[in-house]
Amino acid sequence: MLSFIARRVLAALGTLVLSSVLVFLAVQALPGDVATQVLGKDATPDAVAALREKLRLDQPAWERYADWIGGAVQGDFGSSLVSGKAVGGEVGMYLGNSALIALVTVLFAVTGSIVLGILAGLYRDRWPDHLISTVSLVGMSVPEFVVATVLVLVFSVALPWFPAVVLYGPEASVGRLMPAVWLPALALAIVMAAYIVRMARTSVIDVMASEYVTTARLKGLSGWRVVTRHALPSALLPTLHVIALNVAWLAGGVAVVENVFNYPGIGKLMLASVQNRDLPVIQAIALISAVVYVVCNLAADLGAMALNPKLRTRGRTR
Amino acid sequence: MTAAVVSVTSPVSVDSLCVAYRSGGRDVPVVREVSLEVLPGQTLALVGESGSGKSTVAATLLGHLRHGSRVTGGSVRVDGADVFALPARELRRLRGGTVAMVAQNAGHALTPSMRIGRQIKEAGGDIPVVDLLEQVRLPRPAELARRYPHELSGGQQQRVAIAMAIAARPKVLVLDEPTTGLDVVTQRGVLDLIGALRDELGLSAVLVSHDLGVVAHMADEVAVLRSGRIVEAAPTGRLFAAPQDPYTGRLLASVPRLDDEGLARVGETGGREVRPKAVIPEEAPVAVSVRDVTIDYGSSRAVDGVSFDVRRGEVLALVGESGSGKSTLAWALAGLRTPSGGTMTHGPGHDGDPGAGDLARPAGKRPSALRRRVQLVFQNADTSLNPRRSVGDAVRRPLRFFGTTDSRAATAARARQLISDVRLDPALAERLPAQLSGGQRQRIGIARALAGEPDVLVADEITTALDVSVQADVLRLLDDLRRERELACLFISHDLAVVRGIADRVVVLWRGVVVEEGPTDAVFSAPGHPYTRQLMAAVLEPDPGARIVVAPAPGWVDAAEGGDLWVAPGGGHRVRRWRAAG
Repeated sequence: MLSFIARRVLAALGTLVLSSVLVFLAVQALPGDVATQVLGKDATPDAVAALREKLRLDQPAWERYADWIGGAVQGDFGSSLVSGKAVGGEVGMYLGNSALIALVTVLFAVTGSIVLGILAGLYRDRWPDHLISTVSLVGMSVPEFVVATVLVLVFSVALPWFPAVVLYGPEASVGRLMPAVWLPALALAIVMAAYIVRMARTSVIDVMASEYVTTARLKGLSGWRVVTRHALPSALLPTLHVIALNVAWLAGGVAVVENVFNYPGIGKLMLASVQNRDLPVIQAIALISAVVYVVCNLAADLGAMALNPKLRTRGRTR
Repeated sequence: MTAAVVSVTSPVSVDSLCVAYRSGGRDVPVVREVSLEVLPGQTLALVGESGSGKSTVAATLLGHLRHGSRVTGGSVRVDGADVFALPARELRRLRGGTVAMVAQNAGHALTPSMRIGRQIKEAGGDIPVVDLLEQVRLPRPAELARRYPHELSGGQQQRVAIAMAIAARPKVLVLDEPTTGLDVVTQRGVLDLIGALRDELGLSAVLVSHDLGVVAHMADEVAVLRSGRIVEAAPTGRLFAAPQDPYTGRLLASVPRLDDEGLARVGETGGREVRPKAVIPEEAPVAVSVRDVTIDYGSSRAVDGVSFDVRRGEVLALVGESGSGKSTLAWALAGLRTPSGGTMTHGPGHDGDPGAGDLARPAGKRPSALRRRVQLVFQNADTSLNPRRSVGDAVRRPLRFFGTTDSRAATAARARQLISDVRLDPALAERLPAQLSGGQRQRIGIARALAGEPDVLVADEITTALDVSVQADVLRLLDDLRRERELACLFISHDLAVVRGIADRVVVLWRGVVVEEGPTDAVFSAPGHPYTRQLMAAVLEPDPGARIVVAPAPGWVDAAEGGDLWVAPGGGHRVRRWRAAG
C-alpha cells in the first residue's frame, strides 16, 4: 500500500515538473523574444534592451528556468511587469478570493450531485430519476456564462437578493465578498454537478443490479443499509475521478464566471494579465492551474484506494 | 385426555405459482403453475436447463423477483407465512431469519469493499463470526474474518457464503447452483459441508442445479422443470432409476459417465449409444511436442517441467483442479504466455526455417503460417465474442486476417461454410452473440478457431458453462471435427467424466507437475496415483446408489527424485513416484 502511495506521489511530482517545463518553454517559444513581445512593436530599442536586462534574457534558458522554478517553490514568481509588485503576493490575494468561490462550489456541487445522482439511480425510470436526469442534461448543455447571466437576471434584477456585480477590489475582506460569492458559486455548481450526477446515477444503477447487492437484500438488511454499506463504496469509485476532473475544471470555469460578476478572483487577474502581456503573472497562474489538476487527481487516486480494498491489499500475501 | 392433533406446517409450500415478466408490452410467463412442498429436514432439488425457471422459483422463497417480473398467480408459503403478502418489515425478518440463500457465484455475491467478518455479522443471529467460520471448516477463522473477499479462493468464498446463510439459524436453505463455478475436488468438499450442516441443524433445503450428479448426491426429492413447468417430480431414487417423462430420461442419459468408453449419443426416449473412439493410426505425425516446459508467474511456478506430445487426430486431455497449471499451459501453447524454460514445437519440419514451428514464442511474434495452425477456443464464448459485432463477423475476421480467402464474396461464403460445419444454420451469421444460446455461441467460438484452418485446437474448459445436453452436442461436434480434419486437440477440463468420453490420452497435472499420464482407458481402469484417484472419487455420478468407482485416496507425499521419476505399468501409462504419508 505504501509503495502504491509513493508511486502515485512520485508520478504527481513528475507531472508537475513536466508541466512547469512546458509553461516555461511556451513563453520562450513566443516569436521574437519576451521583451519585444511585452513592449510591442513601437517600443524603443533602449526600452527593449532595459527589459532584456531586467528579465536576464541574455542568460541561457535552463539557468533562467532553474531560477524561476527555484523561486516558485518558495512562492517567489518574480515581479509583475505592469505593477512592479511581487507576483506571488498578488496572485495569492486573487487566488484566495477565487478559492472562496471554489470552496462553496465544491461543497454544494459535490455533495448535492452525489445525493441527486444516487437518488436518480435508486429511483431508476421513475419520476425522481426523470426530473434529475432532465435538469442535469440541461445544466450540462448550457454554457456557464449563460447560467450566470440567467442567475443575475433572476436573483439580482428580478429579486434583489444578491449583488449582480462586485464593487470591491481584490483587497476586500472575506466578509465583504461573501454576499457576492453565492451567485457565481451556484452558476459553477450547476454546470459542474451535471456531469457528476450522470456518472453517479449510472454507477449506482450498475452496482444496484450486482449480485452482491441482491445478496445483501436477501440477507434481510434494510434498504438504507444495503445502499450505504454495500452499494455506495463501489458506486462512488468511478464517480471519484469525474469529481476530480470537475474540481480541476473549476480553475478554468471560474475565469469566465468571475468576469460576468466582475469578481476579483484569479480569472479576472488572468484575463487582465493576458491583455497587459504580464508574462510572469501568466506563468504563475498556469503553474498553479497545473498544481490544482495534479492535486485533484492525486486526491482521487488516494480516495479510490480508500474505497477499493483490492488496491489497498495489493502485495499482501494470501 | 385425547391426543392433540398437531398440524405440521411444511417449511416450504408453493401452490400453482405463476411468474411472468413484461417484455414489449405483454407478459412472458417464466414459471407456470408450479406446485411443490418441502418437508422438515428434507432436500428438494429443482433440476432443469438454463431458462427452465428453476432459479426464479427458488428466489421466490425469499420473496425476490428479478427486475420487471411479477407473480401472476398462486402463492408461496414459507414456514406458514405467505411470502408475497408480507409487509416489508416482516419480509426482511423472513429473509435470513427463516429462509437464507447461498448464491451461485460467491465471488460475485460477496461485497468487495467489506471485510468477510462484517458481512457475516450483518446477517444477524448471535453466533460469533469465528464460530461460524469454524463451522464451515475454514482454517484460521479469526484472521480470515479480517480479509476481503478477493483475498480468498473460490472454495473459501463459497464457504463464507454458507456461513453467512446459516448465521441466523434459518429453517430453510435455498442453494442456487452452489458449486457450479468450482472444480470437482472443491465442489465435493463444499457439498459434503452443506450436507453435514443441513443434517446437524435440521434444515430443509431447496437445491437448484443443472448438475444431475450433484442432485443425486444431495436430494431426497427431485422436481424436473422445463420451460417453467414441472414435468416430473419424484423421490430421488425412483427418478434416477425409472424416469417417467422422456425429457427426464434424455437429461439423465446426456450426463457423461466415468465408465463410458466413448461419447454417448442420446436417443429421443433417453436411450444411450456409446460411439467407440476413433482409432489413431500408428504413423500419425506429431502435431505438438512439449518438452520440460516451465512457466512462471512472478516468483511462483505455475507449470514445472511438463512434457507431452499430441499427434494429428488425437485428443489429449489435461486434467487437474484449479491452480494445477492446466490452463496456463494451454494459454502458453496458444502464445498468450511465454514459458521460462523448455521447448514447445509445432509439427514436423517447416521448410528450412528453424523458427517456423517454435511455439515458445508469443503469438505476436509467430509467423502468420504458424499462428493460424494453433488456435484456442475459450471457456466463455459469451465473453470472448465482441457483443456489438455479428457472429458472422467474428468468423470472417480471421479469414481476412490470415488471407485464406481473396475476395469479400469468398470470405462470406467461407464463413457460411464454417458456420454450417459446426452444425449451425448459416442464417445465424447476422445475429449478435447475445441473440444466440450458450451452446450456439460456443459453436461460433469453434468456427472462429477453425477459420485459420488449424491442425492444433486448444480447447480450454469449453463445455464447463453449458447444460448437459448442450455439452453432449458440443463434445460430439468436437469429436466429429477432429475425425474429419485430423485435428490434434488439447482438451483442458476438470471434469473426468467428460474427459473419459472424448480423450484418447490423459495427462494429470498437480501443482504444475505431471503425476500420471497414459491412454484414457488405462488411466481410468487402473489409476496409479492417489491424486488421480482423488479426482475420480470427486466425480458425482448421476445415480444415488452409485458404487464407489475407486477407493478413496490415502495420504501421500511426492517421492520423485533425481532421474528416478516414474513408475511405468507399460503401454505408455506412467505414474509419478509417491509413497504413503506418515
